[in-house]
Amino acid sequence: MSVLPGSHPKILRKSGISANNRDRLISIASPIMLLLLWEILVRIGILDARFFPAPSKVFETLLVLIKDGSLWANTWASLQRLFWGFLLGGLPALILGIAMGLNHTLRALIDPLVATTYPIPKSAIFPLILLIFGLDEASKVVMVAIGVFYPVLVNSMTGVLEINSIYLDVGRNFGANRWQVFRTIAFPGAVPHIMSGVKLGVGMGLILIAIAEMIGAKSGLGFMIWNAWEILSVETMYVGLIVIALLGFLFSMTLTEVEREIIPWKKTR
Amino acid sequence: METTLTTPDLHTTSGDQPVKIRLRNLTKQFTTGGGPVTALDDVSLDIPSGCFFMIVGPSGCGKTTLLRILAGLDTPTSGSVEVSEPAAGRPGNSMVFQGGSLFPWMTVFENAAYGLRMRKRPKAEINEVVGHYLSRTGLSKFSHAYPHQLSGGMQQRVSIARAFSNDPDILLMDEPFSALDEQNKLLLQEELLRIWEETRKTVLFITHSVDEAVTLGDRIMIMTAQPGRTKQIVDVPFARPREVLELRALPAYGELVYSIWGQLREEVQRARTQDEGSVKS
Repeated sequence: MSVLPGSHPKILRKSGISANNRDRLISIASPIMLLLLWEILVRIGILDARFFPAPSKVFETLLVLIKDGSLWANTWASLQRLFWGFLLGGLPALILGIAMGLNHTLRALIDPLVATTYPIPKSAIFPLILLIFGLDEASKVVMVAIGVFYPVLVNSMTGVLEINSIYLDVGRNFGANRWQVFRTIAFPGAVPHIMSGVKLGVGMGLILIAIAEMIGAKSGLGFMIWNAWEILSVETMYVGLIVIALLGFLFSMTLTEVEREIIPWKKTR
Repeated sequence: METTLTTPDLHTTSGDQPVKIRLRNLTKQFTTGGGPVTALDDVSLDIPSGCFFMIVGPSGCGKTTLLRILAGLDTPTSGSVEVSEPAAGRPGNSMVFQGGSLFPWMTVFENAAYGLRMRKRPKAEINEVVGHYLSRTGLSKFSHAYPHQLSGGMQQRVSIARAFSNDPDILLMDEPFSALDEQNKLLLQEELLRIWEETRKTVLFITHSVDEAVTLGDRIMIMTAQPGRTKQIVDVPFARPREVLELRALPAYGELVYSIWGQLREEVQRARTQDEGSVKS
């Protein structure tokens, strides 16, 4: 059998592990190693199981909570609040942000209001929100909305301001009216910034929903964690933390995919 | 300052074509940190309909400002702009920018169709017109590509297709080939001449290249260094349609380029001493 000279590299590539795959393996192995170490340290008594229950125990609790349906019910409650909060805060922020980017009068009018209210910790406003919107769903949704509003607003505005002015010149020269400029130039041009705003908003929304649900809620992941503290079920607390972390991870993955889809001009280089 | 649209009433001073664009005492000042800068100083000009009008001048002579005023992107400090009114439903002017003016979020087709879409023309018309100009510029195969996937020369072709598809009364071209290499520049000049022959629109074309001015234009205005004034207006006698390479082989071509370059050289040198002076102070 004769071997063609060109076939060697192919064979080598198949048998060896490329640097890329090796990195991927390491990044999968590292959390598993950490969990294993944790498990061992708890079992030999170096880590206090009252504060750091063994991963196997947490996993058992996870299965129990899935079976009795309470995990899903709480997750669903949080997801719904996040969704409505996102809509209520994100959509107006998007429109107002782009409008502020296009119109300097509007920017001069609203920018100071944003600058002065942005630094207030959103958690500090919660008592006021409770007072106004009561203990029902509305107060949680409003909390998420406030958290999402600022990053989306500021990033949409920045996105429009950073659009190269030549594009606006083209719009003007080719007779685009206000709405057409908004739709064909300002929005698509600002989309990359808007997406980073949305990502920040998701993170903020998760933080705020957890806080809001710890006070005055009868459902949700925040409630589940708080309730677990009150009845000293440390494993349940960990399950709550894991699910929140997982949600954050899934959201960010989905948004990255969405980004690739709606910004095709940045996809292939 | 006034920009007026008038109907046929404009009369020519010379030649048989009616005047398309009439500038009177056009002046533009910018306020900068170092005080007011006069970009355009008292420019008066008549451009006949169907004329391929070239403006050459040293950089910073206000030629782009002149074009931007005509494009409606800038307003003059004083003086008047009169443009004969375009036929009903037709846009007054469309501009081909220097480069980097294509929307990165639109495909080649969407970019070329931009003007027609903004004017809400029927889809069939858009497809036909844009299809025509994309094929004339050799871009049919790339109509679904995004600008970043194209070379600089191809991007400028899209920009030309966008302006022609819009079917304006006047084409404004702001050094559209200045960023291209010599070979591409030549090809695009030939292409532009071929497409222009189909409609013979009024063109106002800005360049810093004397070669380009003589190759493309019917008439050339030489501008002075800052502040930009009319230094001289030269008629280009060559017949149309023109073949770029054949034209350049003519002795008369070389003579004309030489004489215009003689005029321009003084201005470029003046611009240079101005620059050096401003660096020292």
